[in-house]
Amino acid sequence: MRTVQSGASLHDATVVLDDRVILRAVNLTVGPGLTLVRGPNGSGKTTLLRALAGLVPLARGARQASGDVLYIGHRPMLLRGLTARENLEFFVRFRGGDTRGIDGALRAWGVGEDMDRPVERLSAGERRRAALARVETERVPVLLLDEPFADLDDAGANRLRQTIARARDDGRSVVIATHAHRELDELAKAQVAVDDGAATAA
Amino acid sequence: MTETTISRGNTLPRIRPWLGIAAAASFVVASVMALFWAPTDAVQGNVYRILYVHVPLAWLAYLAFVIVFLASVGWLWTKNPVFDAIAVSSAEIGVLFTGLFLVAGSIWAKPTWGVWWTWEPRLVTTAIMFVMYVGYLLLRGLSTDFSRRATRAAVFGIVAVIDVPIVHLSVLWANSLHQLPTVLRAGGAPALDSSMLLTLMVSLGAYTLIYAYFMTARVSLERARQVRLWTI
Amino acid sequence: MIGSAAHRIALVAGRELRAERRQPDGVVAAVTFIAVLVLLESLVVGPQIAREADVGAALFWIALAFATILATMRSFDRELEDDALEGLVALPGGRDALFGGKVLSLTIVLVLVAAVGGILSLVLLNLQIALGVHLLVVVLLGVLALPPIVVVDVVLALRLRARAALVPILALPVLVPQLVAATRGTSAALQGDAVGALSWAGLLFAFAVVYTVIGLTIVPAAIE
Repeated sequence: MRTVQSGASLHDATVVLDDRVILRAVNLTVGPGLTLVRGPNGSGKTTLLRALAGLVPLARGARQASGDVLYIGHRPMLLRGLTARENLEFFVRFRGGDTRGIDGALRAWGVGEDMDRPVERLSAGERRRAALARVETERVPVLLLDEPFADLDDAGANRLRQTIARARDDGRSVVIATHAHRELDELAKAQVAVDDGAATAA
Repeated sequence: MTETTISRGNTLPRIRPWLGIAAAASFVVASVMALFWAPTDAVQGNVYRILYVHVPLAWLAYLAFVIVFLASVGWLWTKNPVFDAIAVSSAEIGVLFTGLFLVAGSIWAKPTWGVWWTWEPRLVTTAIMFVMYVGYLLLRGLSTDFSRRATRAAVFGIVAVIDVPIVHLSVLWANSLHQLPTVLRAGGAPALDSSMLLTLMVSLGAYTLIYAYFMTARVSLERARQVRLWTI
Repeated sequence: MIGSAAHRIALVAGRELRAERRQPDGVVAAVTFIAVLVLLESLVVGPQIAREADVGAALFWIALAFATILATMRSFDRELEDDALEGLVALPGGRDALFGGKVLSLTIVLVLVAAVGGILSLVLLNLQIALGVHLLVVVLLGVLALPPIVVVDVVLALRLRARAALVPILALPVLVPQLVAATRGTSAALQGDAVGALSWAGLLFAFAVVYTVIGLTIVPAAIE
């Protein structure tokens, strides 16, 4: 999938939550390719991604996104009471997309046998994998993944790396927040270091 | 939070003493007029004089509520903290005046009609408004984060104020079907003598000045608190 | 545009109902709750007095208002785990669809709850129904007017302590018009006052529309 000019950006964005400054005057533009966001725990990585996703009100500054955004956070964010397949169908239909690729994607991610079980009954790893399958079923230009390697075994991690590479090659804007996984550095076109609310290009 | 309106803080302290004097002076004048100057009512005697307190209190209860609405819209639109300060100040002053109105109403009703409470539509609507004020302040009290608290309160403020006329209409219609005698005829009674009317107008003015004075004090307090507790 | 918004609302409502069908503890709780409340109210007020149309109607609608609050809070509790609410809000059109979908699914659930509570009231209190169709119309429209405001209030109270106490305080005063109209309309239908029942029904419809419009306009600001 070739996308042109996809991306998201924050201009002078400041985020205050629970009366603490989480992000301070952040300027960041994300375009096609892989951008890595690195930083210690509590530095504001998660809030940065959420701000890019438009989920956090900005005390100051602005956020822009050209193209739809898929945000997968710390928790897999799957809807309870539905199966894995129904979850992905829900999201795809919500965006007005085509549900045909869902079974295949879930199977490729190793959730093939359990795709008809309610998500509450899946293990953490299976839930993570089902959520990550959304990267393939929802063909949106901007991907924001927060610590996506959590709960994944080696097979899952490999699959994720392949998916990231493919997404990058397809011209999608991929932003990944992680505090490890140095092997991604060679795939990345840009790195951002976040520390105590300030974001700098690394 | 934006750093605007610091200049506003400079003008308020200058106006406030004059506002306070004006409020106190007009209150004295209004009270004197209400207690001594206005003629005694042919039907109700001197008890009716509480009208000069009751009506302005009702006016203020609703005015304060409308200000809460406007300030709530202002916050949602501009996210300027001044609007949140105005909203909470008006809500606190409003709940006070609404409470006083309800109590004054009872004090009037008992000697006049022998009951502490009548289910007259305006009274009922104001009582419900009182609960809404309290709910508004409770909602604020349970929130910790400044920005979320302001947004939550603003949303509820808007919903509550829009609802008040609807509440009034529904209570009115419910009562009309049951033919409840409208006991509380005053507070808009057409047969007001011109001097009574004048006294009422002066009282309305005095209480409005008192509201304005309280507002300036409370808003400054809130702004100082905002700067002290919620830095950016 | 409106078509796709309606489609998204239907998706959210469909998901709610499917989840509820698989694990109906929300419905069960609300139905049990209204049954207990109707029973208790009738007992405490005294069956003789509760038998009067006005009183019986009031007891029913107050019970249903509380059942609505219960059902709505449970519906949102489900989202708080796993941050599923964020997943939905992150989608384009998510906030509006969330409000519309929740209101729609709650309305459907409440029709069921109202049916149980209503039948129980009729049976316990031996109420005579003079105008059956009118009664149905009033009850349906009354049910329609309940969820929008309650959903807004539950959203406002979402991560606060004491929200079980806060939501009724926020919701009930605002719902007074609906409760008054529903009670009067129900009483009129029970007693055979067709004109009365229909005028209150008309009012209920107006309230439902106003509440829904207010909710739709204000809710995007409330959900962050």
